Amino acid sequence: MKARKKALLVILAFVSFAGMVFAQSKPTIVIMPKLIGIPYFNASEVGAKKAGADLGVNVIYAGPTTADAAEQVKMLEDFISKGVNAICVAPNDPAALSPVLKKAKAAGILVLDWDTPADKNLVDLSVHQIDDKVYGQHIWDLLVKEMGDTGDYAIITGGLSAANLNTWIDYGLAYAKTKYPKLRLVTDKVPSDEKQQMAYQKALDIIKAYPNLKGIIGISTPAPIGAAQAVQEKGLKNKIAVVGTALPTDSRPYLEDGSLRVATLWDPSKLGYLTIYLANEMLKGKKPVDGQNVPNVGKITVWPDGKTVIMGPPTDFTKENAKDYPF
Amino acid sequence: MQNIEKSIYISRFRKNKEAALFLIMVGMFILMSILSPTTFLTWRNIQSMAYQLPEFGILSIAMMMVIVSGGINLSITFTAALSSIVGGLVLSKLAVSGAPTPIILIAGILTFLGVAACCGLINGFVVAEIGITPMLATLATSTLFEGICLNITRGGAISGFPDAFLWIGNSAVLGIPFPMIIFVLVIFASYLILERTSFGLKTYMIGCNPRVTFYSGVNVKRVLFGIYIFSAVLGALSGIIMASRYNSAKDSYGSSYLLQSVAASVLGGTDIVGGYGKIAGTVMAVMIIQIISSGLNIFGVNRFVINAIMGCILILVLAINTLSNGEKIAAGK
Amino acid sequence: MKLKAKQNREFGIFIMLVIVSAILALNSSAFLTIENFFDILKSNVVLGMMSMGMLLVILTGGIDVSVGSMIAAVTVIVGQFLIKVSGNIFYSMVVGCVAGTLMGLLNGILIAKLRISPIVVTLGTMNIIIGITLYLTNGNWITGLPQNFINFGRITIGSFYRQGEEMIGLPVQSLFLVFVAVLTWFLLKYTLAGRAVYAIGGNRVSAERIGYNLESITIFIYGYEGLIVGLAGVAHTSIMRQVDPNAFNGFEMQVIAAVVLGGASTLGGYGSVLGTLLGVALFSIINNGLILLHIPTFWQKIVVGIVLIVSIGFDVMQKRYWESHQVKVDIDEE
Repeated sequence: MKARKKALLVILAFVSFAGMVFAQSKPTIVIMPKLIGIPYFNASEVGAKKAGADLGVNVIYAGPTTADAAEQVKMLEDFISKGVNAICVAPNDPAALSPVLKKAKAAGILVLDWDTPADKNLVDLSVHQIDDKVYGQHIWDLLVKEMGDTGDYAIITGGLSAANLNTWIDYGLAYAKTKYPKLRLVTDKVPSDEKQQMAYQKALDIIKAYPNLKGIIGISTPAPIGAAQAVQEKGLKNKIAVVGTALPTDSRPYLEDGSLRVATLWDPSKLGYLTIYLANEMLKGKKPVDGQNVPNVGKITVWPDGKTVIMGPPTDFTKENAKDYPF
Repeated sequence: MQNIEKSIYISRFRKNKEAALFLIMVGMFILMSILSPTTFLTWRNIQSMAYQLPEFGILSIAMMMVIVSGGINLSITFTAALSSIVGGLVLSKLAVSGAPTPIILIAGILTFLGVAACCGLINGFVVAEIGITPMLATLATSTLFEGICLNITRGGAISGFPDAFLWIGNSAVLGIPFPMIIFVLVIFASYLILERTSFGLKTYMIGCNPRVTFYSGVNVKRVLFGIYIFSAVLGALSGIIMASRYNSAKDSYGSSYLLQSVAASVLGGTDIVGGYGKIAGTVMAVMIIQIISSGLNIFGVNRFVINAIMGCILILVLAINTLSNGEKIAAGK
Repeated sequence: MKLKAKQNREFGIFIMLVIVSAILALNSSAFLTIENFFDILKSNVVLGMMSMGMLLVILTGGIDVSVGSMIAAVTVIVGQFLIKVSGNIFYSMVVGCVAGTLMGLLNGILIAKLRISPIVVTLGTMNIIIGITLYLTNGNWITGLPQNFINFGRITIGSFYRQGEEMIGLPVQSLFLVFVAVLTWFLLKYTLAGRAVYAIGGNRVSAERIGYNLESITIFIYGYEGLIVGLAGVAHTSIMRQVDPNAFNGFEMQVIAAVVLGGASTLGGYGSVLGTLLGVALFSIINNGLILLHIPTFWQKIVVGIVLIVSIGFDVMQKRYWESHQVKVDIDEE
């Protein structure tokens, strides 16, 4: 009896020990969006979790409930306490996260940024979905393609404090100054607080306030849809061209009748997948290479600094191809 | 009138209310430790919580003092943000100009406090002089301050602070994070002012019944001005900590703390219509909220569910308070 | 005497409304058009309806900060119902109203039975409701609503102005608003419950002594508010043709602001349907005017803040002036 008990205990100890070792051998990667609970980041969660399953990695997807940098800092501090192998964060404010990322590095944790860049000197890798400059210019190109290079236009943005939206707008405006000098921006970018209702309301007001309006750019996913809704209801789809950054499934009804001419974005689930993939590779000691083909994602570009990874060019969604995308 | 009677009743039960909070705080700490033994109950985590808590705690005390006076300060978070933005501008400009560090720090911090004092002055003026009800007044001033923030930053952030300033929010003295030291000082100062001076007593009186207090010869306007200015200055302290911790100043920092600070005040036993409230209660409520938030985060609970749980706890604790006291609390707000 | 005070308050708001409208009309040719009015109306029916519900709550001296999350939850429930069960418009309204009323009753019961202060209870329920809603939906939009519902949302009544080749009329959702406003007005003026609401707000203890059942009235008004939230949720969904659980973040503050702007006192006892409608109108016209007047984006919030302070301050000072000229001194005003 005693012998059997002893044997049982030994087996139990061995199994639990093996279990612990095995559990520890699976790396834990935290991927933090700017905020949870919006469709765009939900799609990236799907990709990230899939990568976790494919690669045998523990993926923790967690983020604040509002686009609050302070909340991100708190959550990251808690994860450092918990002890993870890698942190991938889409910062709401790059400068705000620098102190906590420093703490992470001091604790030996791999640090990546994705979707929006953090302090370049602190991160081990910076994963971009597109090149910000190329993207900003592309949006303006799309606008001009639809409305011509002369006339009045307005910009409806998500939030005035959103760093990435501001970056694209700034690049686009600088580009337009030289390339499309006859375009006239009627007023400063108008915020819509990431709400379609507000974008709709503001679009209505803009249309009335500037009767010669020929185009509206919507930046941030609800904005082009709200603007398109306004244009559709007023029957102005032939007069005013609406382009912007939006998800294809949400844009379909407006793409179909032309109130939204074209939406341009990328596949957020691919971005999530790529981020986890690259983090895992880095944990294994392998840095990304320019032109590398990442499964399920495609060919990536790596800049000469070795740190910045671009997932690919933006995808344009039109009434023809919108139905092909599940996000 | 009922509030004065209630205050007398409550002073007898006072020990009960704060004792209950203390028990809840300890209980929560133990619970979180059980849930995540190796990760919650670590020195690193406790230090981490001690870094996170002060900015919220100071704002909660700032809110609580205004609530005690019978009002509410919905503009406290944008006061903090505005003071950090203007203060941050001064810090970054001076840092570039190469002035000696002590001068930069002093000028910067004075700017923080000065801007906040102006905000408090505006609030006091609108509430005490013009006489608009505090909820609406501070709603309006909050919009105004937010607008000024946006106008200055155009939506971006101010950064470029000298290292000495960053030291405030990120370093520890003898293992205790410096923000926590600031918080403790604030607790003492607020306690002394609110519960040990005639100014504080007058604040309680105004919260109970402004009209009677006025007829008693108290300069209600001056006290109200004082409370709103003090509240705003506390907001600036929170702003200093946040600007230092986040290495930047932005209009949106701290905005999620607004309703949370009201919750912390009420959880801590402050009566929402005014006239009653203890600093100790508010501090314990802040700690309870922090422990639950960090603990559940580490344990891995979805943030939305954490929000829902906080809501439940708020209602539960207050229900227990009311039921155990067994008095009829006059409704109000 | 109370009636005269009310009339005066409403008059003050009305004057502010006229002044702001005049400024807008003089500086923007697009303001004084039927099209603009209908746009403002359509954009603000939801705000208007919710203000009616909030008015009752504020009249009794309470407050409800959970309305934003309640309407978010209602739109999600209605949206799911429309897609998964039936596209019938009437049933969707019933579902919305039931969901809203249940949530409202929850608030009411907690406030009345547990005797916890309303702002605290509704702060708690706000977090609970939005936490559950966002957790279950993950913030994902609900699109692809049935066509008949979308068509319903597009109905307009009458022909008032020309747009392209069609004649456009009053948006159908404004009927919702009219219905709710009339119902609330009738409730306040002609029913026992309505009288009780004013009594409780005026002086709680006296109201109790007169014999009003405070508990039942409290539960009733929060339930009524929930019912209105249900209708407002259906109206909103019919306008936007999609459901976004995040669409109402911060909305409760706008509702409260509109109601208090309309002359209701947060201490209870003062307020009227007319005043609240004027408050909503003032609020929405200010927002509409910001862009029509070409006010630069980064000055808009500053302008709103100043306008709020000036208009309320003007109203308050006018009331004080009027009161100081009275003979009777009212000691029990608080």
